[in-house]
Amino acid sequence: MSSEHRHERHGHRVERHEQKRQLFSEEIEGLFQGGPIWKRPAGKVGIIWLLMTIVGVVIGLVVPSHILPVERATEAHHVTLTIVAFTVVAAPVAAFVYAAALYSLIAWRKKQPTNGEPPPDGPPIRGRTVPSAIWMSVSLVLVAFLLIWGMSELATDVSPQANSIRVKVTGQQWLWTFSYPGTKIESRELVIPESRQVVFNVTSLDVTHGFWPVQLGVQIDANPGLVTTIMASPSKLGPIDIRCTQLCGLEHAYMYTHGRIVTDKQFSAWLKRHGATPAQVASYRITPN
Amino acid sequence: MTTTAPLLEDTVLGPKAGGFYRRQNIGTGMAAGIIIGFLGWLISHAFLQGSNWGSDMVVTVTLTAWVIGFNIGIGSFNAIIRWILGHDEDHEDQLYGAGVGQGWHRYFKFCTDHKVVGTQYLVLVMVLFGVGGTLAMMIRTQLLTPTMGLFSPQTYNAIVSIHGMVMIIATIVMVSGPFANFIMPIMIGAKDMAFPRLNALSFWMFFAAIPPILASFWLGGVDSGWTTYAPLSVQSMPGQDAFSITICTFVISVTVAGVNTLVTVITMRAEGMTMARMPIFVWGSIIAGGLGLYAMPAFLMAHSALITDRVVGTSMYAPAQGGAGWLYENCFWIMGHPEVYVILMPAVGALIEIASTFSRKPVFSYKVMVGGLLGVAGLSIMVWAHHMFTTGWAPTLGSPFMLTTELISIPTGIIFLCIIGTIWRGSIWTRLPMYFLYLFLWNFIIGGITGIYLSDVPVDGFFHGNMFVTAHFHFTLLGGAMIGAAGAVAYWFPKMTARMLNERVGKVAFWMIAIGIQVTYYGQFLEGFQGMPRRVVNYAPIFQNANQISTGGAYLLMAGWIVFLYAIVSSWMHGEKAPANPWHAKSLEWMVPTPVPLENFLVDPIVTSDPYGYGEGGDSESESSGDASDLEPSGPSTNMGASH
Repeated sequence: MSSEHRHERHGHRVERHEQKRQLFSEEIEGLFQGGPIWKRPAGKVGIIWLLMTIVGVVIGLVVPSHILPVERATEAHHVTLTIVAFTVVAAPVAAFVYAAALYSLIAWRKKQPTNGEPPPDGPPIRGRTVPSAIWMSVSLVLVAFLLIWGMSELATDVSPQANSIRVKVTGQQWLWTFSYPGTKIESRELVIPESRQVVFNVTSLDVTHGFWPVQLGVQIDANPGLVTTIMASPSKLGPIDIRCTQLCGLEHAYMYTHGRIVTDKQFSAWLKRHGATPAQVASYRITPN
Repeated sequence: MTTTAPLLEDTVLGPKAGGFYRRQNIGTGMAAGIIIGFLGWLISHAFLQGSNWGSDMVVTVTLTAWVIGFNIGIGSFNAIIRWILGHDEDHEDQLYGAGVGQGWHRYFKFCTDHKVVGTQYLVLVMVLFGVGGTLAMMIRTQLLTPTMGLFSPQTYNAIVSIHGMVMIIATIVMVSGPFANFIMPIMIGAKDMAFPRLNALSFWMFFAAIPPILASFWLGGVDSGWTTYAPLSVQSMPGQDAFSITICTFVISVTVAGVNTLVTVITMRAEGMTMARMPIFVWGSIIAGGLGLYAMPAFLMAHSALITDRVVGTSMYAPAQGGAGWLYENCFWIMGHPEVYVILMPAVGALIEIASTFSRKPVFSYKVMVGGLLGVAGLSIMVWAHHMFTTGWAPTLGSPFMLTTELISIPTGIIFLCIIGTIWRGSIWTRLPMYFLYLFLWNFIIGGITGIYLSDVPVDGFFHGNMFVTAHFHFTLLGGAMIGAAGAVAYWFPKMTARMLNERVGKVAFWMIAIGIQVTYYGQFLEGFQGMPRRVVNYAPIFQNANQISTGGAYLLMAGWIVFLYAIVSSWMHGEKAPANPWHAKSLEWMVPTPVPLENFLVDPIVTSDPYGYGEGGDSESESSGDASDLEPSGPSTNMGASH
């Protein structure tokens, strides 16, 4: 390639650069010009964005809490809260992508040629620093929010409370057994008192199962040969569904049992009825501290 | 025609000495596979049937013998055997191997032409989607009522597991098989892949991997899902052996293909095709190839150890003998998450090509976009344990894995920014590929946001193992990646088949698919919110409405894919003949004639810019390849080949 040629190319590049700068300023002006705000491109995208955001936020605020199972533990409440918060935060992002894509489709689509030729080329925009920087900053902030939210939730449930009760959960193909350490009680039904944190020590006799007391909003696998732990703080009296979440063979679908959150008095009575000695019942009695 | 042409045609005049190699095709492959497999069965049956692990050993030996026998029979190892015997392939043999002069027969042979391999992949992937889709319809039909009773729990579990793995296998290769083989070498100006015989080997290994997983239906099935968590999978029926043989074979296929893609792009780019001028699809392909090299060995390890546990009594995963189910789970997900991006990256790359071509605009922020793709890929190897938040393994690692998982949304957001930036102010050409791009944007946002819920450890405690997860990953893999693959089919169909895709039928299919996806998976999100576990054959009556919505949507979705398949098949058979560059795109694959000749380029192209010079003056098209004529005035430039 001759040096003349190269020189020419260089000149070409400078010219193109100038062209681009001009295009960019025209573009920015174009977005914000043209009559009242709702008639300018930026305004129109903004309106679509706002409408979609509102839809998303309303869905986030209304739908999850209506279709999720009844919350019977603070953990379940946090799950709902997080889903709502994340939906509300995500709605404007999703709405922005949708609004920009939709507006491009509506506003800048040229009349479609019928002869199989493409429409004329669009402007040669090869990148913009400012919008990219804004986009990245916003996504960093949002991710930081998600992280702080998630980590602060994780930080709260590190160690069991002093007056928590312990329930040993044993999975096997295809049923759950609940035993209450310190007593000889073994039950197919999970009964827990309302006012105390419950620590589940979960294990399995055969294959991996997933222990999921649905309304408590927590879940942990039952692994053979290992004990895993999960905690829940019941907050509302009533029934609980207990389902298995790991495909564990033939009758996985039927590996269901139910549980109850009862008052402390009912809990003591239940223990007694199932053969716990008075001393054992006392050991499970609430000791406010 | 250039000077090489007569030579190409001469090679097939009559079989030459040693003609056995020339008679090998899929038929001899099947025959050899069945015979050697049968020998394997006889031997293992005679010696091992009585032992503890007898039937597992017999299945493993038989199916391994099938895989090896098939590949011997079709000629995968011819070249290396001849090399060992001291008479290497000559030029004529190589031309024969590339399928010269064999017409449609070459599609049923061990053919080294990358375009033949790409087409073979395309057809086989569609067949697999047919199998997986049929299984999906069986699942959805079973779930139409709480106690449908269509299948026994055992059959149902097998259907669920095999649907999962067939679909995963098919989606892993759905873009990188057909398009990274057919299109990508042309895009970078290469004459073929770097290792054409390995390329053919990767396809026929893939082919040989299919029968075992289907055979597992008749070997007691698989009852632990596509994840086949140990120790259940160690205890289950011999169908599990077949399943694992499929995976081991498939891993070989993907690894070979990944190496091939990487080496091709690194070493075979045309003059002037710098890394920064490569089409984004090429980036997507090499990122997928590289990630595959990272992910697939873990898959092989997980399943080969599973086989040894089952067959020879090792205790890798047996807790009572010092093994651990968590070891399997870790290996599996170390493969499992990067694998999602092995699926996604080439699909996204294809969609970005579509975005640029059909907006008539350059790709927005090329380097930032490539950075986004690399960022996603890099982070994806550090997030696997978010699949294990609820297993109890390493609870203290919840926060770090939540961190890495949520960080992925930043490079993903960058990819979105660049796609939106590309279509923003573009003069949008509403052809079928562009429809799929828009559907991808819609779906993948939903798949991504629902993924953010799952990245949060406490929320995962509710959604894990629940239909919500099912809906989430179907939104990303079907609504995202598979829609990208459908877009890629619509985009490159004219180049691959030399015919135009029937867009009217294609658009009918598009709307059925688009609506079908929404209905099916909104239904499953609802099931998940209500608390329905995954992989259940029957369910509580409270979930019935959601399931019926989902099943209805699934029927529509399947019908949509069938219509799309009809569009493909009918257009392929008697569609309108396609010009070389129907989209007036600027990347090299559109500069070569259609149908693409052997070794693609009549004259080596010289590249002077990236292929996105829309609206930047009239010279950009010739920049891609026109310089070739400067160098060699007498020869035709690739550009001439394009404009007939």
